[in-house]
Amino acid sequence: MTHFFKPLLAVAALCATAITTPTATLAQDWTPPGPITMYIGFAAGGGADTQARLIAQGIEEKYSWTVIPQQAPGNSGLTLAAELAKAPADGTAIGMVVSETMSYSSQASGDPAFGYENFTMLATTAEFQMGLVAMANGNFDSWDKVKGAAEAGTPIRFATASDRQADMAWHLGQKVGIDFNIVEVRGGKGVMDGLRGGDVDIGWVAGAQSKPVQQGEMVNIARGIEAPLADSPDAPMITELGSDFLLDGYFMFIAPGGLEPAAREALGAAIRDVAEDGATDANGLLTKAFGGAAVRTGEDLDAYMTQANADAAELMKAVAE
Amino acid sequence: MTDLLDYIGLGMMAVMNGPALFEIGGIGLPIALVMLAAGLFTGIAVGATPGLAGPMAMAISLPLLISAFGFSPDALLPVFAFLIGIMKGATLGGAVPAILFNLPGTPDAMMTTLDGHPMARNGQPRRALRIAQLSSVAGDSFSDIVLFVCAPFLAVVVEAYLDLPEKTALLILSISFIAAVMGASVGKGLLSVSLGLVVAYIASGNDLSPRLTLGFDALDAGVPLIAAILGVLIVGEILATLETLWRNNRALDVKTEAHGTAQDGLAPGDLKRITPVVARGALIGTVIGALPGVGSTLAATLSYSICARRAKRIPDAQPFGTGAPEGIAATEAANSAVSGANLIPVLSLGIPGNAAAVFLILAADSIGGFNPGPAVFAMPEGETNPQLVIAFGIFTLMAIGNLLNWTVGGAVMRSMSVLAKVPATRLLPVVLLVSLTAIYVQETSMFAVWATLVFGVLGYAMRRLAVPVLPFVIAFILAGPLERSAREAFAATGADPWFLFSSPTSVILLLMALAALVFLGRQR
Repeated sequence: MTHFFKPLLAVAALCATAITTPTATLAQDWTPPGPITMYIGFAAGGGADTQARLIAQGIEEKYSWTVIPQQAPGNSGLTLAAELAKAPADGTAIGMVVSETMSYSSQASGDPAFGYENFTMLATTAEFQMGLVAMANGNFDSWDKVKGAAEAGTPIRFATASDRQADMAWHLGQKVGIDFNIVEVRGGKGVMDGLRGGDVDIGWVAGAQSKPVQQGEMVNIARGIEAPLADSPDAPMITELGSDFLLDGYFMFIAPGGLEPAAREALGAAIRDVAEDGATDANGLLTKAFGGAAVRTGEDLDAYMTQANADAAELMKAVAE
Repeated sequence: MTDLLDYIGLGMMAVMNGPALFEIGGIGLPIALVMLAAGLFTGIAVGATPGLAGPMAMAISLPLLISAFGFSPDALLPVFAFLIGIMKGATLGGAVPAILFNLPGTPDAMMTTLDGHPMARNGQPRRALRIAQLSSVAGDSFSDIVLFVCAPFLAVVVEAYLDLPEKTALLILSISFIAAVMGASVGKGLLSVSLGLVVAYIASGNDLSPRLTLGFDALDAGVPLIAAILGVLIVGEILATLETLWRNNRALDVKTEAHGTAQDGLAPGDLKRITPVVARGALIGTVIGALPGVGSTLAATLSYSICARRAKRIPDAQPFGTGAPEGIAATEAANSAVSGANLIPVLSLGIPGNAAAVFLILAADSIGGFNPGPAVFAMPEGETNPQLVIAFGIFTLMAIGNLLNWTVGGAVMRSMSVLAKVPATRLLPVVLLVSLTAIYVQETSMFAVWATLVFGVLGYAMRRLAVPVLPFVIAFILAGPLERSAREAFAATGADPWFLFSSPTSVILLLMALAALVFLGRQR
């Protein structure tokens, strides 16, 4: 397992310099040397999966590049990262994950090969609209009801879709004195399917809950980000409930480490172009379900990832205590 | 209720308003319908060719279809249309060589030879084919209607009443049942299931370092799904048949010819004679088809022997085995009724019951955007569930497929009789080559091709040792859902190691699994 990462560690230094060194813009001339495989680190049919596929479709339409979406879900995006690490760093392999894959999850894995400096950050597409979601008109449709049920001794099933979400559920539980039964499922769609089927009681969803919330099927009983949720401005921030941390982040595209700067710039620009163009289906979805496109590329993105990794280290320390 | 009608409407629209392939007189011909008809005719041809079977054609066409239509949700209906066409066509086509040449084109047409061939030899091949067509399509249509009604209902019931531990227990029951009813003995069934689970668990799971790879880097991403399934199911079958041919060069040759006489065609009282038999056969086929793992061969045998027993009690009835129309009708109605009902567990629970269902699940898996299981039938308030639209699109395609079978199926069927004369020694190597090419097209790696050949040898060995191969494939597909639901159930019950015994329903399901292994195995 580890030996295929060794060459990667070697290119890591190269990669880091490549990212930071200013280069002449060759991006306009760059075209992928073959069809682009777009790995999707999310379960098929979910909100993030649809987002990735619509962006693939948008790139195909705008640039006439061939993009082949391929599912690589699991392990909070690290399954995808492992797959990507084996792929050629020539722009023909990209992957959609969340920023926490390249921060919290890669650190939690303990494997330095997964470090964000070993990959090329291409572009974010949207910010999490992270909510703590429950079925409307159910037994858990407000934070007070959750607390009340816990005090009455009812076991509460808390669905999470990644390790960081699971740790945040545990951290929140520790802070408020509730021993949640934390169930790791596949993606926000898995959380919502579980809620609908009555298999779980509450769970984190990072944007896909928008429509069910607007339709009155589900409610955001709390929010994991600083800004109020577009659909539920009154949902309290989890730090107000007792948590020391927020659960924010971005959906983002990454590529193998050592991608040449022109390719990085061209791919990042292509994603930005599709995500921000009001005429594309991808933009429609981002606006409708993810609070609008939020594209960050280049040095701006690198700075964010550095900060996210520092924050992740802090959360991990707090949870381990 | 209006919601449901809306969805039915949307499903029909999805088929009819899809992208048009070409226009005739200004009216676009939807691609899904063209694919359905193409699949249907392919299916009839494949069914009519001894040595080929529906699943084989589905297996080969799936990778080609996916590379043609891509991975977008728009690809779902055209791909399903072609596969469903093959499924429906092959059940019909299987009767052709059985009747004309005493050679079952598909295994489940074995019983059709008993009365179909004598009738053809008596100078009435057209009459036999016509009876086979009518009974087959009637059985198929009946079971499709049951599917349309039951699948959504069952899915909703299961989702509403089964908790996570119970879902795990249900999967254990399905796998145990399949192991018990397929093949020569429960032991061999369990062996096949276990092999399937072990292979599926290579490099899957939640751990970051892939498990069970024995240090082979090539296995880091697990065994390619399509390589394992096509290898065991198709390549294994080809190898086994080639060996049979090598031992006996004439095993699959056409033996007799039949020529029509002047009074060929449906006789006046035929429809009235076969109606009750068809009804009974359709019912038997549907009930058996709804159970995962029990094949159409059993349905045909059961229906035929029940009708044969009844015929003996009626003094002036034509004895079975001499070309009785009831014999053909009983078999064809039953074996065709299996195919629709087989999709009940597939669509409502994601549990495949036969090889055809395996390829439908594989198609859904590869394309994405449609995940057979309870979520398909969820009707969230004020929001359209695209999966449900696809499900009703599939139902629409099945209904149109039946319509085609009723109308033009008979003519196509009669024209396919020449195919039985293609020698298997020429045909099978071609099929093998096309299969491997198709796998390479989808996976674009030689590892997948080698893996297919390795699994082909495994499939061949299993056939020679009388270990059933379908439980392997079904266990391979259910391994992921089984592990996932067990993990979730374990976590949801607060890490209770006895979660499987946490509710009466779950205990009952486990007891049923045990009972299936003990009692269904002993009957043999």
